[in-house]
Amino acid sequence: MNRNPIPSRQTPVTSLQVGHGLACLTLLLSLCAGSIGQTQSEAQSPVPGSAIHVTHVLGFEGARHNATGDLKIQGDAVQFQRDGSPTAQVNISSIQDIFVEDEDKQVGGTAMTLGKTAAPFGGGRVVSLFAHKKYDFLTVEYLDNNGGFHGAIFQLDKGRGQTFKKDLVANGAHVSSPDRATTQSTPEVKHENK
Amino acid sequence: MKTNRETSLAATKTTFGLPAFHWPNRQRGALAALVLLLGALQLQLFVPTALAESSTVGKRGGAQPWSVQVDRVDPGDVGLESSFGAAIYENLLEELAKTEQFKQLFRNGDRNANDVPNLLILKTTVQKYTPGSETRRAVTTVNGATKLNVRIQLVTREGHVVLENVVDGNVRFIGGNLRATHNLAHNVAVTLKRSTLPEQADLVPEQETGKMSK
Repeated sequence: MNRNPIPSRQTPVTSLQVGHGLACLTLLLSLCAGSIGQTQSEAQSPVPGSAIHVTHVLGFEGARHNATGDLKIQGDAVQFQRDGSPTAQVNISSIQDIFVEDEDKQVGGTAMTLGKTAAPFGGGRVVSLFAHKKYDFLTVEYLDNNGGFHGAIFQLDKGRGQTFKKDLVANGAHVSSPDRATTQSTPEVKHENK
Repeated sequence: MKTNRETSLAATKTTFGLPAFHWPNRQRGALAALVLLLGALQLQLFVPTALAESSTVGKRGGAQPWSVQVDRVDPGDVGLESSFGAAIYENLLEELAKTEQFKQLFRNGDRNANDVPNLLILKTTVQKYTPGSETRRAVTTVNGATKLNVRIQLVTREGHVVLENVVDGNVRFIGGNLRATHNLAHNVAVTLKRSTLPEQADLVPEQETGKMSK
């Protein structure tokens, strides 16, 4: 029997676009897996008392917003040092309160967000489903030399916030409410005070 | 000898010939995605800022003699996370400093504020708080917004309320949950800049109610 081959209805341009889309998705997924794997391996084996890698979100005097660096206890001070920048530090005795909360965040930063937005066929949303990770947020409330109140927020790998808080308390930091040590964010629960 | 028409057709064939036809089609998808992306980014980043800027034009009075001390955020009983309280407070200080509306800016508890003559105290009370989820926002676009609603008061040392207002701060699309605190602080700064504060001499308790959402 002679069968004529059925010509494909896909034009070369369409298949090319699909190919590009798949390539884009594959790249995003590999980036996502890489970043998750990297952060998970970093989160292992926390050593109490040593410097921990954190992201300074805001509030620590002398440090830039969203700067990554090392947070450590040095003598009677807690220090944040970013590569190539002078150390910012605060006396532990001036700390008024410490809170640790955990929160879910998307990984990959701005580049990943742009990639997800540009991905065709809603591929970015699929990637977003898997490209998230839980972090600890360490809030340190302290007073400066003039008595002015500061609230510094650091983003740490999950599980390291409590360890660092215990170290700070052991070194003389004041904590007003030990029972509120860890509070979990409750997404999608509406609180209203009318 | 070629006529003008033949020459024109030849030129058209060269421009829209098969090899030239594939290249623009290959690039069209990427170009369209780039244009869409830039458009979305422009809307997300610049429109709220432009709205806020335009609303301040022409409303500000002369130089204000006041200094301001930012009080700690009162979380109310809405279950506000500590990081949000600290972030609102720190962002308020930054955004107010950017406006250059006040002569001096003090933190809560700063001893230097004790001797300052014309001092107002900014009190912030959280009224509503809806915790959101960055992942839900990224996946669904329409769900998972983080919403904050606060009441701000400018009071004198004697307790006179100079200004009272309700301000919102939300994050609906791009950004982490804490970005809501930045948006809130920006809206508070814009609201204060729009307001005309009374002179120290003729200080009369003034109440102003309004809403500003972003």
